[in-house]
Amino acid sequence: MTTKPRVYQTQLAVIGSGLAGFAAAVFALDKGISTAQVGNTGAIAYTTGYLDLLGGCGEQLLEDPWEGLKQLRNDEPRHPLSRVSDGEIQEAFSLFTRALSDMGINYTKPGERNLFALSPAGTTKPTLSVPETMITGVTAKDSGARTLILDFVGLKGFSALELVSNLRKSWPGLTAKRLEFPGMTTGAQLYPEVMARALEVESTRRQLAEMIRHELGDAECVGMPAIMGIHLPDRVHADLQRMVGVPLFEIPTMPPAVPGIRLREMFEQTFPALGLILVPQQKVKNVDLGEAGTVLSLKDSYGDVVIETRAVLLATGRFLSGGLHADRFSIRESLLGIPVTQPEDRAGWYRKDYFDHRGHPVNRAGIEVDELFRPLDASGVPINEGLFAAGILLAHQDWMRQRCGAGVAIASAYKAVEALSGYLS
Amino acid sequence: MPATSELLPIAPIDFKAKADELLPEGASYDSCLNCGLCSSGCPASGLEGMDPRRFIRMAMLGMNEELSNTRWIWTCTQCRRCMYVCPMSIDVSVLVGLARGQWPDEKKPQGIVRSCDAQLRFSSTSAMGLRTEDFIEIVEEIADEVKESDERFNDLEAPIDKQGAYFFINQNSREPAVEPEELAPLWKIFHYVGADWTYASKGWAAENFCMFAGDDAAWETMVRQRVDAVNELGCKVWVNTECGHSFYTLWKGIDKFGLDAHFEPGSLITYYAQWIREGKLPVNADWNTMGLKFTLQDPCQLVRKSIGDPVADDLRFVARALVGEDNFVDMQPCRSANYCCGGGGGFLQAGMNEQRRAYGKRKFDQIMTTQADYVLTPCHNCHSQMEDIGEHYDGHYRVVHYWTLICLSLGILGENERKYLGPELMDL
Repeated sequence: MTTKPRVYQTQLAVIGSGLAGFAAAVFALDKGISTAQVGNTGAIAYTTGYLDLLGGCGEQLLEDPWEGLKQLRNDEPRHPLSRVSDGEIQEAFSLFTRALSDMGINYTKPGERNLFALSPAGTTKPTLSVPETMITGVTAKDSGARTLILDFVGLKGFSALELVSNLRKSWPGLTAKRLEFPGMTTGAQLYPEVMARALEVESTRRQLAEMIRHELGDAECVGMPAIMGIHLPDRVHADLQRMVGVPLFEIPTMPPAVPGIRLREMFEQTFPALGLILVPQQKVKNVDLGEAGTVLSLKDSYGDVVIETRAVLLATGRFLSGGLHADRFSIRESLLGIPVTQPEDRAGWYRKDYFDHRGHPVNRAGIEVDELFRPLDASGVPINEGLFAAGILLAHQDWMRQRCGAGVAIASAYKAVEALSGYLS
Repeated sequence: MPATSELLPIAPIDFKAKADELLPEGASYDSCLNCGLCSSGCPASGLEGMDPRRFIRMAMLGMNEELSNTRWIWTCTQCRRCMYVCPMSIDVSVLVGLARGQWPDEKKPQGIVRSCDAQLRFSSTSAMGLRTEDFIEIVEEIADEVKESDERFNDLEAPIDKQGAYFFINQNSREPAVEPEELAPLWKIFHYVGADWTYASKGWAAENFCMFAGDDAAWETMVRQRVDAVNELGCKVWVNTECGHSFYTLWKGIDKFGLDAHFEPGSLITYYAQWIREGKLPVNADWNTMGLKFTLQDPCQLVRKSIGDPVADDLRFVARALVGEDNFVDMQPCRSANYCCGGGGGFLQAGMNEQRRAYGKRKFDQIMTTQADYVLTPCHNCHSQMEDIGEHYDGHYRVVHYWTLICLSLGILGENERKYLGPELMDL
């Protein structure tokens, strides 16, 4: 049996399909750069859907991320966000959230201040932009609106009572109720994804709305786990809200959660329609960097795929997504063996106190890039003129502690695409 | 109620040890994050008290006896959606296949076993037990009817064993065995584009329930017979009728068993798309004056498990050309992320109707959300399952083959070839 490899020729190949990879693809398509993208499900599957810019500085939570960025540039000049101007970050967020809205998920306009958005545990976190289906939770909390929080029999990892208990001090108008989700009353474990898909059916929405109306009392709005549809959630949200008669909002849940599935499915569907060559759920096996161009090789279920490209953008993430690999002694970059800035030995990875406010050095390990976001070799020289990198693979940031994962992803992807666009022309 | 293991004492497999041999390169149970994306995205979750994540966790814990005996393995359709959504690319379906193979035949769902046995009995390899002499007679009879009833096709041919034909056509047994009039639309399409094709007197049947039975040796026997048949006729391309698993079983089988195939396996959908692009099949949606809405079901075995999104693109290209851009609406999710309908993996033949319909509820909801009047699908198992769940859950849609619409659009669909169309299209 003869199987021919499928060969694609593009100007740009994005390796990685997390937030940085998707943002890079958005920016590249916006510039009319022919693009291929390869990557399997990674950490994006676990997102809340919130787009943080910068939420933490030491032990402090930031209300004003732009003030925080000033401080960051002063304290941590090598932080990836320190290498992007406010104007560029604003442009990047604006382009990206507009693109998300165009593709099917409306986001709030990134503004001057951080929003303090709800977590499933009943805490809040500073973030710059949230899906429209979640914004009422932020405003209701700020105004102290009488709010009913719902959870469901069989749904694990989301307790209305826990959320209410933890928030009631600052938000006395909260009450909790548990419902049985329509058509899923056997007591078996429920998954938010399954409930979300069921709510895409109008009759399920009608049944749920009826149950909510019954429990509404004097509540001015209703919060529930993020289950309002996977595809076109704003439509499901609006329709359910109309049926219930008061504003509704979603609260992200523990994985496996809907916001990540929404984003991934949306990208996988809309990108090919925009002309992007997407090889979903696969990892690049080999990269042959050349002077005139690069050849990527991989295998999917049907056989060999070859992508011939002029520029490559590496957005492979950290340990979970496979961009970095740690063994017992050191950390390496998985695909190209790019030098990784890291503590001298493993003893230096962690501080003694897990909650040390300075964070752990291992979390700042990553690859070095120049001002054009090109990865550097051990002597500080770009590895290849056409190789760029973006996202949390980059060194000198602690995205979880600093609550800047999306910020690093979107801002660095923007800068890298600006740079590679110059390179391509 | 006694535990399943008491009812079915099956020799346990060491799943963890076997996984290391079976899982693809780079994947391992050890890397499972226990996140549950697999279970969340699996319509078989919760059936028989099992789900993919639980299956993996139990394997990790060495609960081999329980896993070897759970009936859940017959509700998993081996659609591989778990692997598709897994950040660590863990494939539960290969372990399900392994577990199926360990069950003695008398314990397996008898519908699957009988179908596999039937395939092994005759050189036709038909799971419905149709013998070649009967097949040839049916083909000749239907071909004669077409020639007589429509003068545009009075030189139509449905050749058997035509040496050196370009296409070797693999035929699902359902048409010759149950609804022979459904054979003709595809022949008409071949005639229309001037395709050089043939059936064969052996190994002509498409289905492969031996694979679903977990019987690798029988799967190999099936594929070997069919590969030999194509090689002997010297055909360049093997194409199966609109059928999902038969493509996977042959294409994968050739690789898995290291067979020497002197041809290329192809999908009929790819050729429909190619012929439309080349202008050989000048279809359009002018017939759809009523604005009937269509959605389509991506067969897992053809899309996610075999060719991937390129064939998903072709499915949509052909569908849009046939029904009109505005009348096509995708199910969500779709393409490689699509849900199995619940008819695959032998589930339709397994006699577990209650579980199969519970599984199919998700597909039913997907279809209802589209508000489509018709579901197009090039897979017989998908076709039967979606018809069944439509009836069971009171949906008002119909399920139709591509060939029916192609011929309808070209004005060459016979009156007796409309059994899957609604009354509104009977006289068109």
